[in-house]
Amino acid sequence: MIKGGLMWRLLRKHISAGQLIGFSIANLIGLTIVILAVQFYRDVRPIFQDDESFIKKDYLIITRKVTGVGAMMGTTSEFADSDIATIQKQPWVRKVGRFTRSEYNIWATVQVGRTGMHTQFFFEAIPSEFIDVNPSEWHFDPAHPQVPVIVSKDYLSLYNFGYAAAQGMPEISEGMVNMIPLSFQFTGNGVNEVIPGRIVGFSNRLNTIIVPEEFMKWSNDRYGRGGDQLPARLIVEVNSPGDQRIKDFMDSHGYEIAGDKMDSSKANYFLTVIIGIVVSVGVLISLLSFFVLMLSIYLLLQKNTKKLQDLLMLGYSPHEVSKPYIKMVAYINGAVLVFSILFMTLMRLEYLPMLRAFEVSGSSLWISIVVGVIIMGLITTGNIIAIKRKIATLWRQKD
Amino acid sequence: MERIDVKNTLPAVFAGREENNSEVWLQDLSFERGKNYLISAESGTGKSSLCSYIYGFREDYSGDFLFDGRNIRELVVEDWCDIRCRHIAYLPQELRLFPELTAMENIELKNRITGFKSAKDIEKLFEALGIPDKINASVARLSIGQQQRVAIIRTLCQPCDFILLDEPVSHLDNTNNKIVASLVMDEAKRQGAGIIATSVGNNVMITNEKEYKL
Repeated sequence: MIKGGLMWRLLRKHISAGQLIGFSIANLIGLTIVILAVQFYRDVRPIFQDDESFIKKDYLIITRKVTGVGAMMGTTSEFADSDIATIQKQPWVRKVGRFTRSEYNIWATVQVGRTGMHTQFFFEAIPSEFIDVNPSEWHFDPAHPQVPVIVSKDYLSLYNFGYAAAQGMPEISEGMVNMIPLSFQFTGNGVNEVIPGRIVGFSNRLNTIIVPEEFMKWSNDRYGRGGDQLPARLIVEVNSPGDQRIKDFMDSHGYEIAGDKMDSSKANYFLTVIIGIVVSVGVLISLLSFFVLMLSIYLLLQKNTKKLQDLLMLGYSPHEVSKPYIKMVAYINGAVLVFSILFMTLMRLEYLPMLRAFEVSGSSLWISIVVGVIIMGLITTGNIIAIKRKIATLWRQKD
Repeated sequence: MERIDVKNTLPAVFAGREENNSEVWLQDLSFERGKNYLISAESGTGKSSLCSYIYGFREDYSGDFLFDGRNIRELVVEDWCDIRCRHIAYLPQELRLFPELTAMENIELKNRITGFKSAKDIEKLFEALGIPDKINASVARLSIGQQQRVAIIRTLCQPCDFILLDEPVSHLDNTNNKIVASLVMDEAKRQGAGIIATSVGNNVMITNEKEYKL
């Protein structure tokens, strides 16, 4: 005890509390910004991603651009097999799926209490591997015909937040929708039939009305022309929807990307850029504060040069002489690290409730803590090296 | 360490001087363990420089100093720390005490890295030098003569092969000069160490086998 105490009493002379507090506050701000930004990025990112699977997948729905002239000239809006093959060959493509559509008239009737709603309808089908929900009733049996339907979640939202709210109708949940009896009237090929249906799921990915492919084939054969049809829409699974090559390809081929997948990945991109800027500012502040501490230490060592040299003369090694200063730096930096993690956690508690609206619960803290520890570790290492170097220069005295 | 050889050395600031009456500079001589030497000098002849070369904190000289045949320019920081703790006990002319600490704390600061003397031994030295009441006094409040005695006690708080004293009694009266001489010689005898003392004028009462004029 007396050991450290004596050295510290000697060497703490000229320590400028003001400078050290200045450094600590600056570094606390810088480090808090950095780790808070990292944490915020990690908490917010899921909003911009469809993390349905462990490996990130994204789907684009593409169509041909509809132009007035093209429509009048009778240019096809369908994708030929060769077009699909070309798309399939692009390096950013994982899988391509075709949309098939109903080729007959559909009228849907919904019976809610005594009120009935009657509306014209259409169906599309895609391979089940592209559908983001997997309901148990997703099949069709011609012997006991009943049509399972998946509709876009947006339709339900539209009904609940738009129509129902405005008309004073009851809001409906996904579970309730399953129980609403639907019936479809199909007309075509001289056949006119009514088949019961049921909404079995809601899709976030597909902005349309989907039926099983087996039903689509069966119904097109029965009410439509039958045979193979060329798709007007394709669903493409890609590695990274923000890829510039995708945009270039679409532009050069006159294709259009439907939905907001590109927008969401743009938003994701801007989020990354903004967080990058914020992190850079934080790092810059930390870096500046690091130089403040370095200057402060240099000044301190300079003022205590004679004392340090006298200790070296007594037989103390440069290592022992630098220890009190290294300890001081380690304590200060350790405290700054602890406080910045604390502040980050507190501020996170402030923004987390806002994210709940997006059904995001926040990710774990450990990565931002590791980032904080690494930055602090680097700063501390820099400080220690500076102290050791400075003391090494005091070893030889110039009288 | 058994011997210190001085071979043709000269402080850099003296380079180019034509006249050399020194028995040390540009000469070959050696200091042996167990023997006492007096370097008498007029001021400005480089006696503090000689001490700082031997103690390894200055290197601005030509020629060579050898510790047991090893050129001291080859020694590294760890070697010097070991030498300063175990082989050469040094009393600097400017004493180099820490004024913000007490007399005892100044000595503690040395003794704790050598672990050489007990608190009781140290107290006895304070008594012998007539300053037992100054043990816990702040060094800043001591007279220069008292400070010199504290510095001498500190010098004795380590194992050594040579005791290197730069003007050890310059601020002491005859009585204390005698006491210092006997304390230092006793310690040297106990450890079988040699003594190298410098002095302006021959007032150091440590008996010597050989005197060099610097």
